[in-house]
Amino acid sequence: MRRQAGSEDVNAAGRARSAADLAAVHRTIESYYSTRFRQFGATPLGVDWSCVATQEMRFVQLLKLCEIGADCSLNDLGCGYGALLALLARRHPASAIDYVGIELSAAMVRSARRRWRGHPGCRFVQGEACPRQADYSLASGIFNVQLDQPCDLWEAFIRTTLDGLAASSRRGFSVNFIAAPAGRAIEAGLYATTPGPWLGYCASRFDAAVELVTGYGLREFTLLVRLPRVA
Amino acid sequence: MGELINPHEIYLGTFFERFNMRFGPADPNAVSHWLSGGITEIAALQKEFEIFKTGRRFLESVALLGLGGDAVGPAKDRWIAYLEKLPKMKSDDAEQTGDARIVNALVANFLKGEPLPCFMQALDGRTVDPGHVIVSEGEPLFYLEPTKFLVISLPMRPKSAPGRG
Repeated sequence: MRRQAGSEDVNAAGRARSAADLAAVHRTIESYYSTRFRQFGATPLGVDWSCVATQEMRFVQLLKLCEIGADCSLNDLGCGYGALLALLARRHPASAIDYVGIELSAAMVRSARRRWRGHPGCRFVQGEACPRQADYSLASGIFNVQLDQPCDLWEAFIRTTLDGLAASSRRGFSVNFIAAPAGRAIEAGLYATTPGPWLGYCASRFDAAVELVTGYGLREFTLLVRLPRVA
Repeated sequence: MGELINPHEIYLGTFFERFNMRFGPADPNAVSHWLSGGITEIAALQKEFEIFKTGRRFLESVALLGLGGDAVGPAKDRWIAYLEKLPKMKSDDAEQTGDARIVNALVANFLKGEPLPCFMQALDGRTVDPGHVIVSEGEPLFYLEPTKFLVISLPMRPKSAPGRG
Protein backbone atom coordinates (compact mmCIF):
# COMPACT_ATOMS: atom_id res chain seq x y z
CA MET A 1 0.00 0.00 0.00
CA ARG A 2 1.23 3.46 -0.84
CA ARG A 3 0.14 6.93 0.00
CA GLN A 4 -0.10 10.09 -2.04
CA ALA A 5 1.80 13.19 -1.05
CA GLY A 6 0.32 15.86 1.22
CA SER A 7 -2.11 18.51 0.07
CA GLU A 8 -1.15 21.38 -2.16
CA ASP A 9 -3.33 23.69 -0.09
CA VAL A 10 -2.64 23.24 3.58
CA ASN A 11 -4.25 26.40 4.90
CA ALA A 12 -6.51 26.08 7.87
CA ALA A 13 -9.64 27.73 6.57
CA GLY A 14 -12.62 25.48 7.15
CA ARG A 15 -10.49 22.59 8.29
CA ALA A 16 -10.11 23.15 12.00
CA ARG A 17 -10.11 19.95 13.99
CA SER A 18 -11.22 19.51 17.53
CA ALA A 19 -8.88 19.32 20.47
CA ALA A 20 -10.10 15.78 21.00
CA ASP A 21 -9.04 14.82 17.47
CA LEU A 22 -5.58 16.26 18.01
CA ALA A 23 -5.28 14.63 21.42
CA ALA A 24 -5.98 11.32 19.72
CA VAL A 25 -3.20 12.03 17.22
CA HIS A 26 -0.81 12.73 20.07
CA ARG A 27 -1.77 9.48 21.80
CA THR A 28 -1.13 7.56 18.60
CA ILE A 29 2.28 9.18 18.16
CA GLU A 30 3.16 8.55 21.81
CA SER A 31 2.22 4.90 21.49
CA TYR A 32 4.20 4.43 18.27
CA TYR A 33 7.41 5.96 19.58
CA SER A 34 7.16 4.31 22.97
CA THR A 35 6.96 0.97 21.16
CA ARG A 36 10.00 1.82 19.04
CA PHE A 37 11.86 2.89 22.14
CA ARG A 38 11.05 -0.33 24.00
CA GLN A 39 12.34 -2.29 21.01
CA PHE A 40 15.54 -0.37 20.22
CA GLY A 41 16.28 1.79 23.25
CA ALA A 42 18.12 5.12 23.22
CA THR A 43 19.50 4.72 19.71
CA PRO A 44 18.64 6.29 16.35
CA LEU A 45 16.49 3.23 15.57
CA GLY A 46 14.58 3.89 18.79
CA VAL A 47 13.44 7.22 17.35
CA ASP A 48 13.02 5.83 13.84
CA TRP A 49 16.19 7.08 12.19
CA SER A 50 18.58 4.80 10.33
CA CYS A 51 21.79 5.86 12.07
CA VAL A 52 23.62 8.51 14.05
CA ALA A 53 24.95 10.16 10.91
CA THR A 54 21.58 10.79 9.24
CA GLN A 55 20.06 11.81 12.57
CA GLU A 56 22.78 14.41 13.07
CA MET A 57 22.66 15.55 9.45
CA ARG A 58 19.09 16.68 10.11
CA PHE A 59 20.16 18.52 13.24
CA VAL A 60 22.89 20.30 11.29
CA GLN A 61 20.30 21.64 8.83
CA LEU A 62 17.87 22.69 11.56
CA LEU A 63 20.61 24.47 13.49
CA LYS A 64 21.40 26.66 10.47
CA LEU A 65 18.62 28.84 11.84
CA CYS A 66 20.42 29.54 15.07
CA GLU A 67 23.08 32.02 16.04
CA ILE A 68 24.36 30.05 18.94
CA GLY A 69 26.07 32.39 21.33
CA ALA A 70 26.95 32.51 24.96
CA ASP A 71 23.38 32.78 26.16
CA CYS A 72 21.03 31.13 23.72
CA SER A 73 17.85 29.30 24.59
CA LEU A 74 16.50 26.40 22.58
CA ASN A 75 13.37 24.26 22.58
CA ASP A 76 13.72 20.78 21.04
CA LEU A 77 10.22 19.52 20.28
CA GLY A 78 10.07 15.74 19.84
CA CYS A 79 13.49 15.45 21.43
CA GLY A 80 13.48 11.68 21.90
CA TYR A 81 16.36 10.72 24.18
CA GLY A 82 18.08 14.09 23.68
CA ALA A 83 20.40 13.17 20.83
CA LEU A 84 20.65 16.83 19.76
CA LEU A 85 22.58 17.58 22.94
CA ALA A 86 25.42 15.31 21.85
CA LEU A 87 25.90 17.27 18.63
CA LEU A 88 25.63 20.61 20.45
CA ALA A 89 28.24 19.48 22.97
CA ARG A 90 30.64 18.55 20.16
CA ARG A 91 30.10 21.54 17.89
CA HIS A 92 29.44 24.27 20.45
CA PRO A 93 31.35 23.19 23.54
CA ALA A 94 31.89 26.75 24.70
CA SER A 95 28.23 27.75 24.54
CA ALA A 96 25.99 27.60 27.58
CA ILE A 97 22.77 26.72 25.82
CA ASP A 98 19.57 26.86 27.84
CA TYR A 99 17.93 23.72 26.45
CA VAL A 100 14.47 22.25 26.99
CA GLY A 101 13.60 18.95 25.35
CA ILE A 102 9.91 18.17 24.92
CA GLU A 103 8.75 14.66 24.19
CA LEU A 104 5.42 12.81 24.14
CA SER A 105 6.84 9.49 25.23
CA ALA A 106 7.28 9.26 28.98
CA ALA A 107 9.78 6.41 28.56
CA MET A 108 11.97 8.59 26.36
CA VAL A 109 11.78 11.51 28.78
CA ARG A 110 12.91 9.24 31.62
CA SER A 111 15.76 7.96 29.47
CA ALA A 112 16.81 11.47 28.45
CA ARG A 113 16.84 12.64 32.05
CA ARG A 114 19.07 9.72 33.03
CA ARG A 115 21.33 10.18 30.03
CA TRP A 116 21.87 13.91 30.53
CA ARG A 117 21.77 14.06 34.30
CA GLY A 118 24.32 16.63 35.42
CA HIS A 119 24.58 18.24 32.00
CA PRO A 120 24.30 21.98 32.66
CA GLY A 121 21.40 24.01 31.32
CA CYS A 122 19.17 21.21 30.11
CA ARG A 123 15.86 19.78 31.19
CA PHE A 124 13.27 17.49 29.70
CA VAL A 125 9.50 17.65 29.95
CA GLN A 126 6.75 15.37 28.77
CA GLY A 127 4.18 17.02 26.54
CA GLU A 128 3.10 17.92 23.04
CA ALA A 129 4.06 21.62 23.06
CA CYS A 130 6.91 23.82 24.20
CA PRO A 131 6.30 24.97 27.78
CA ARG A 132 8.16 28.26 27.48
CA GLN A 133 9.34 30.83 24.98
CA ALA A 134 12.94 30.40 23.82
CA ASP A 135 15.09 32.12 21.24
CA TYR A 136 14.70 29.18 18.89
CA SER A 137 12.65 26.01 18.60
CA LEU A 138 13.55 22.97 16.50
CA ALA A 139 11.59 19.87 15.60
CA SER A 140 13.19 17.02 13.70
CA GLY A 141 11.11 14.38 11.98
CA ILE A 142 7.94 14.91 13.95
CA PHE A 143 5.75 15.27 10.87
CA ASN A 144 6.98 12.18 9.04
CA VAL A 145 5.25 9.22 10.63
CA GLN A 146 1.59 9.74 9.86
CA LEU A 147 0.62 6.09 10.36
CA ASP A 148 -3.05 5.66 9.44
CA GLN A 149 -4.21 9.16 10.35
CA PRO A 150 -6.34 10.83 7.66
CA CYS A 151 -4.34 13.38 5.69
CA ASP A 152 -6.54 16.34 6.66
CA LEU A 153 -6.24 15.48 10.34
CA TRP A 154 -2.47 15.06 10.04
CA GLU A 155 -2.17 18.42 8.32
CA ALA A 156 -4.27 19.98 11.09
CA PHE A 157 -1.80 18.48 13.55
CA ILE A 158 1.07 20.03 11.58
CA ARG A 159 -0.60 23.45 11.49
CA THR A 160 -1.29 23.35 15.23
CA THR A 161 2.28 22.32 15.92
CA LEU A 162 3.73 25.05 13.68
CA ASP A 163 1.50 27.61 15.41
CA GLY A 164 2.81 26.41 18.76
CA LEU A 165 6.42 26.57 17.59
CA ALA A 166 5.92 30.15 16.39
CA ALA A 167 4.32 31.16 19.67
CA SER A 168 7.14 29.64 21.72
CA SER A 169 10.01 31.13 19.69
CA ARG A 170 11.33 34.67 19.86
CA ARG A 171 13.63 34.54 16.85
CA GLY A 172 12.45 31.59 14.85
CA PHE A 173 11.96 27.86 14.48
CA SER A 174 12.97 25.13 12.09
CA VAL A 175 11.28 21.93 10.98
CA ASN A 176 11.81 19.24 8.36
CA PHE A 177 9.64 17.15 6.07
CA ILE A 178 10.05 14.17 3.78
CA ALA A 179 10.15 15.42 0.20
CA ALA A 180 7.43 13.86 -1.92
CA PRO A 181 8.83 12.18 -5.02
CA ALA A 182 7.55 13.97 -8.09
CA GLY A 183 4.27 12.50 -9.27
CA ARG A 184 4.62 9.34 -7.24
CA ALA A 185 3.36 7.84 -4.04
CA ILE A 186 5.46 7.10 -1.00
CA GLU A 187 5.36 4.13 1.30
CA ALA A 188 2.33 3.84 3.52
CA GLY A 189 2.40 5.43 6.92
CA LEU A 190 4.69 8.31 5.99
CA TYR A 191 3.76 11.90 5.27
CA ALA A 192 5.59 13.44 2.33
CA THR A 193 5.00 16.84 0.83
CA THR A 194 6.48 19.53 -1.37
CA PRO A 195 8.02 22.65 0.14
CA GLY A 196 5.59 25.17 -1.34
CA PRO A 197 2.49 24.67 0.78
CA TRP A 198 4.24 24.70 4.16
CA LEU A 199 6.67 27.42 3.18
CA GLY A 200 3.69 29.54 2.16
CA TYR A 201 1.81 28.69 5.33
CA CYS A 202 4.67 29.78 7.58
CA ALA A 203 5.43 32.91 5.58
CA SER A 204 1.87 34.19 5.54
CA ARG A 205 0.64 33.06 8.93
CA PHE A 206 3.68 34.22 10.91
CA ASP A 207 4.78 37.08 8.62
CA ALA A 208 8.09 35.24 8.59
CA ALA A 209 11.08 35.03 6.30
CA VAL A 210 11.27 31.36 5.41
CA GLU A 211 14.41 29.76 4.02
CA LEU A 212 14.25 26.42 2.24
CA VAL A 213 17.18 24.05 2.75
CA THR A 214 17.64 21.10 0.40
CA GLY A 215 20.50 19.18 -1.16
CA TYR A 216 21.96 17.60 1.95
CA GLY A 217 21.78 14.06 0.67
CA LEU A 218 18.50 13.06 2.26
CA ARG A 219 15.15 12.97 0.51
CA GLU A 220 13.88 15.71 2.72
CA PHE A 221 13.78 19.46 3.06
CA THR A 222 14.15 21.80 6.00
CA LEU A 223 12.37 25.08 6.61
CA LEU A 224 14.13 27.80 8.59
CA VAL A 225 11.41 30.18 9.77
CA ARG A 226 12.72 33.54 10.93
CA LEU A 227 10.07 35.45 12.82
CA PRO A 228 9.69 39.23 12.65
CA ARG A 229 11.31 41.11 15.50
CA VAL A 230 8.84 42.35 18.06
CA ALA A 231 9.43 45.98 19.00
CA MET B 1 43.82 -18.26 5.01
CA GLY B 2 40.79 -16.02 5.39
CA GLU B 3 38.48 -15.80 8.34
CA LEU B 4 36.69 -19.01 9.24
CA ILE B 5 32.96 -18.94 8.78
CA ASN B 6 30.69 -21.32 10.67
CA PRO B 7 28.42 -23.56 8.60
CA HIS B 8 25.31 -22.02 10.18
CA GLU B 9 26.30 -18.43 9.34
CA ILE B 10 23.42 -17.92 6.96
CA TYR B 11 22.83 -14.32 8.12
CA LEU B 12 26.19 -13.07 6.90
CA GLY B 13 24.65 -11.93 3.64
CA THR B 14 22.32 -9.52 5.42
CA PHE B 15 25.28 -7.40 6.49
CA PHE B 16 26.60 -7.24 2.95
CA GLU B 17 23.10 -6.36 1.82
CA ARG B 18 22.82 -3.47 4.27
CA PHE B 19 26.13 -2.05 3.10
CA ASN B 20 25.25 -2.50 -0.55
CA MET B 21 21.87 -0.80 -0.18
CA ARG B 22 23.28 2.20 1.67
CA PHE B 23 26.26 2.54 -0.69
CA GLY B 24 24.48 1.59 -3.90
CA PRO B 25 23.52 3.81 -6.83
CA ALA B 26 21.00 6.48 -5.82
CA ASP B 27 17.54 5.53 -7.03
CA PRO B 28 15.61 8.57 -8.28
CA ASN B 29 12.41 6.53 -8.43
CA ALA B 30 12.66 4.67 -5.15
CA VAL B 31 9.44 4.03 -3.28
CA SER B 32 11.31 3.56 -0.02
CA HIS B 33 12.24 6.87 1.53
CA TRP B 34 14.90 5.37 3.72
CA LEU B 35 17.09 3.68 1.14
CA SER B 36 16.69 5.85 -1.91
CA GLY B 37 19.67 8.14 -1.35
CA GLY B 38 22.32 5.49 -1.82
CA ILE B 39 25.83 6.73 -2.47
CA THR B 40 24.56 10.33 -2.77
CA GLU B 41 23.37 10.20 0.81
CA ILE B 42 26.58 8.62 2.08
CA ALA B 43 28.70 11.14 0.17
CA ALA B 44 26.78 14.00 1.81
CA LEU B 45 27.27 12.42 5.23
CA GLN B 46 30.98 11.95 4.50
CA LYS B 47 31.32 15.60 3.49
CA GLU B 48 29.62 16.83 6.65
CA PHE B 49 31.05 14.43 9.23
CA GLU B 50 34.15 12.86 7.65
CA ILE B 51 32.88 9.46 8.63
CA PHE B 52 35.66 7.60 6.84
CA LYS B 53 39.02 8.97 7.81
CA THR B 54 42.56 7.72 7.47
CA GLY B 55 43.52 6.30 10.82
CA ARG B 56 39.95 5.64 11.91
CA ARG B 57 38.96 2.00 11.87
CA PHE B 58 36.38 0.82 9.40
CA LEU B 59 34.36 -0.68 12.25
CA GLU B 60 33.96 2.74 13.90
CA SER B 61 32.61 4.26 10.71
CA VAL B 62 30.29 1.34 10.17
CA ALA B 63 28.87 1.95 13.65
CA LEU B 64 28.16 5.62 12.83
CA LEU B 65 26.22 4.50 9.78
CA GLY B 66 24.24 1.89 11.69
CA LEU B 67 25.21 -0.83 9.26
CA GLY B 68 24.52 -3.50 11.85
CA GLY B 69 20.95 -2.24 11.53
CA ASP B 70 18.37 -3.69 13.85
CA ALA B 71 20.00 -7.11 13.87
CA VAL B 72 20.92 -8.33 17.30
CA GLY B 73 22.43 -11.43 18.73
CA PRO B 74 25.19 -13.79 17.74
CA ALA B 75 25.17 -13.08 14.00
CA LYS B 76 25.82 -9.37 14.55
CA ASP B 77 28.42 -10.15 17.20
CA ARG B 78 30.32 -12.40 14.78
CA TRP B 79 30.11 -9.80 12.01
CA ILE B 80 31.60 -7.21 14.35
CA ALA B 81 34.24 -9.73 15.41
CA TYR B 82 35.15 -10.19 11.75
CA LEU B 83 35.49 -6.43 11.20
CA GLU B 84 37.64 -6.16 14.32
CA LYS B 85 40.16 -8.47 12.66
CA LEU B 86 40.55 -6.34 9.54
CA PRO B 87 43.51 -4.36 10.93
CA LYS B 88 45.42 -7.63 11.26
CA MET B 89 44.56 -8.87 7.79
CA LYS B 90 46.59 -8.28 4.65
CA SER B 91 45.35 -6.58 1.53
CA ASP B 92 46.13 -6.43 -2.16
CA ASP B 93 48.35 -3.45 -1.32
CA ALA B 94 51.40 -4.70 0.55
CA GLU B 95 51.70 -1.34 2.30
CA GLN B 96 48.25 -1.43 3.85
CA THR B 97 46.34 -3.68 6.22
CA GLY B 98 42.93 -4.90 5.17
CA ASP B 99 41.30 -2.23 7.32
CA ALA B 100 43.45 0.63 6.03
CA ARG B 101 42.97 -0.53 2.46
CA ILE B 102 39.19 -0.28 2.74
CA VAL B 103 39.17 3.03 4.61
CA ASN B 104 41.68 4.72 2.33
CA ALA B 105 39.91 3.51 -0.80
CA LEU B 106 36.60 4.87 0.49
CA VAL B 107 38.19 8.20 1.42
CA ALA B 108 39.71 8.48 -2.05
CA ASN B 109 36.40 7.53 -3.64
CA PHE B 110 34.54 10.27 -1.78
CA LEU B 111 37.08 12.85 -2.84
CA LYS B 112 36.02 12.31 -6.44
CA GLY B 113 33.47 14.67 -7.90
CA GLU B 114 31.07 11.80 -8.39
CA PRO B 115 32.01 8.91 -6.14
CA LEU B 116 31.38 5.41 -7.37
CA PRO B 117 28.73 3.35 -5.64
CA CYS B 118 30.32 0.64 -3.52
CA PHE B 119 29.73 -3.08 -3.40
CA MET B 120 30.84 -5.46 -0.67
CA GLN B 121 31.14 -9.18 -1.18
CA ALA B 122 32.76 -12.29 0.24
CA LEU B 123 35.86 -13.66 -1.42
CA ASP B 124 36.78 -17.33 -1.33
CA GLY B 125 39.73 -17.14 1.00
CA ARG B 126 40.90 -20.62 0.00
CA THR B 127 41.64 -19.88 -3.59
CA VAL B 128 42.14 -16.26 -4.58
CA ASP B 129 44.89 -14.21 -2.96
CA PRO B 130 44.44 -16.19 0.24
CA GLY B 131 43.52 -14.03 3.20
CA HIS B 132 43.82 -10.73 1.40
CA VAL B 133 41.23 -7.98 1.39
CA ILE B 134 40.89 -6.86 -2.20
CA VAL B 135 39.59 -3.47 -3.34
CA SER B 136 39.06 -2.79 -7.01
CA GLU B 137 36.85 -0.96 -9.46
CA GLY B 138 34.60 -3.07 -11.59
CA GLU B 139 31.16 -4.27 -12.55
CA PRO B 140 30.34 -6.99 -10.03
CA LEU B 141 26.66 -7.15 -10.96
CA PHE B 142 26.13 -8.10 -14.59
CA TYR B 143 22.49 -7.04 -14.41
CA LEU B 144 23.53 -3.49 -13.51
CA GLU B 145 26.13 -3.12 -16.25
CA PRO B 146 27.63 -0.75 -17.15
CA THR B 147 27.42 0.68 -13.62
CA LYS B 148 30.88 0.69 -12.16
CA PHE B 149 31.41 0.12 -8.45
CA LEU B 150 34.19 0.31 -5.94
CA VAL B 151 34.27 -3.37 -5.01
CA ILE B 152 35.37 -4.46 -1.54
CA SER B 153 36.04 -8.19 -1.27
CA LEU B 154 36.43 -9.72 2.17
CA PRO B 155 38.23 -13.07 2.41
CA MET B 156 36.37 -15.91 4.09
CA ARG B 157 36.56 -19.65 4.16
CA PRO B 158 34.37 -22.35 5.61
CA LYS B 159 35.33 -23.49 9.06
CA SER B 160 35.46 -27.09 7.89
CA ALA B 161 38.00 -26.34 5.19
CA PRO B 162 41.73 -26.77 5.63
CA GLY B 163 43.53 -23.49 5.99
CA ARG B 164 46.22 -22.15 3.76
CA GLY B 165 48.91 -19.61 4.12
